[in-house]
Amino acid sequence: MNQFANVTQQLLKGFGENSFIFIITLLAALPLGFIVSFGSRSPFAPLKLLTKGLVWIIRGTPLMLQLFVVFYVPPLLSGGAFNFSRINAALIAFIINYAAYFSEIFRGGIEAIPKGQYEAGQVLGLKRSQIFFKIILLQVIKRITAPIGNEIITLVKDTSLASVIAIPEILMNAKDFSMQGLIWPLFYSAIFFLLFCGILTLLFSYVEKRLNYYKG
Amino acid sequence: MSMLNVENIQKSFGKNEILKNISFSLEKGEVLGIIGSSGSGKTTLLRCLNFLETPQKGKIIVNGNELFDGEKQGKYSEAQIRKNRLHFGLVFQQFNLFPQYKVFDNITLAPLLAAKEQLKDNGSYMGVSTYKEAVQIINDYAELLLKRVGLSDKKDSYPCNLSGGQQQRVAIARALSLNPDILCFDEPTSALDPELTGEVLNVIKGLKSSDSTMIVVTHEIGFAHDVADKIIFMNDGVIAEQGTPQEVIDNPQNPRTQAFLSRFKQFGD
Repeated sequence: MNQFANVTQQLLKGFGENSFIFIITLLAALPLGFIVSFGSRSPFAPLKLLTKGLVWIIRGTPLMLQLFVVFYVPPLLSGGAFNFSRINAALIAFIINYAAYFSEIFRGGIEAIPKGQYEAGQVLGLKRSQIFFKIILLQVIKRITAPIGNEIITLVKDTSLASVIAIPEILMNAKDFSMQGLIWPLFYSAIFFLLFCGILTLLFSYVEKRLNYYKG
Repeated sequence: MSMLNVENIQKSFGKNEILKNISFSLEKGEVLGIIGSSGSGKTTLLRCLNFLETPQKGKIIVNGNELFDGEKQGKYSEAQIRKNRLHFGLVFQQFNLFPQYKVFDNITLAPLLAAKEQLKDNGSYMGVSTYKEAVQIINDYAELLLKRVGLSDKKDSYPCNLSGGQQQRVAIARALSLNPDILCFDEPTSALDPELTGEVLNVIKGLKSSDSTMIVVTHEIGFAHDVADKIIFMNDGVIAEQGTPQEVIDNPQNPRTQAFLSRFKQFGD
């Protein structure tokens, strides 16, 4: 029982790291992705190309590699003069990576809104910003709730990748136990993820239900 | 002075010239019916009047005020275009109601935003100086409009719970909410099941009065004949024939008009 308490404590401590990365990434990557989605829809071709190129690179390479690059490359290039702490490096890599994915979901959602919605706003004398915030945005949110929820649940589990730059997150701690001959903490750690994702799933279905008051 | 003067409007999409030198005028209280086959430029003309498309050439003059001149291309600010648009209202073929707003809020959304802006800029809106009073005026007017289109009992419904005909009637009320000088209809019944067109056409007929000026693009020839004071037949980007319904529909002179109308007459109209 003492051992169980000890394992629980260690895993909880690790899961604290996962939760921290999860929350900060979400808070930063959602607005950043929103901004990036405007870049990839820009009528200004150079900006559009640049944004699309960056999104391609971020989505086209492993997140693990991006973690390595953010953590190891700055000190190598600066001869050790400049480096990110482990947690900062992890946050930067996660935020950029997830912003790229979110931006594509936002772009898809915005482009799915019929042109007639914008035109109806225009002929009623609305400003562009009013059309976007009063008419388009909620319709976009309704359309992207499911794909964004999907991506957010993936993020919960991806946070354990932070262990590759030696952040003591839950899986790393569980693995340490297994190296001492204790296998069950690995399975136990799965329960943390399952519970967390279960809560998120309930939350998303609540949001979807709340937005179900209208169709279209 | 005519209420609306359209002079030499020309509009191309790439090399495709859709409108070639369109000119016409409309008096206050008149209803203009625009007929013609698909692709003849009717919708594009309406979209130019509502500043959803920018013509390459020509002038649009409302009540003697020049709203657009092709010569001054690119010199119109967004604010100016927004102001211009308020002279016109547009009812779309696909209704384009805002799905997340109740019927009532669809109608009041734009006037409420306009009231806020005008109160901030000029300190008054329709003669009142507080937002609360403005809301009262706007709500009362929305109730009146809903009554006119016969949908007072649907004010708290969402568009998805209405039939197509009801949605289009809400769209008409919404287009009237800002009191446009000229109300335009872009094939208002083309997206409706045949049994629903009647209710919409009746509402449009009911709007006809000495001070409401309307332009109706339609394939309902019988309706155009009944409601319009003036008919324009468009063919291939030009006005092939114009005149009273009796002249253009009952007694067309242009062979193109004759050919177009004969296709309708085959089915007994």
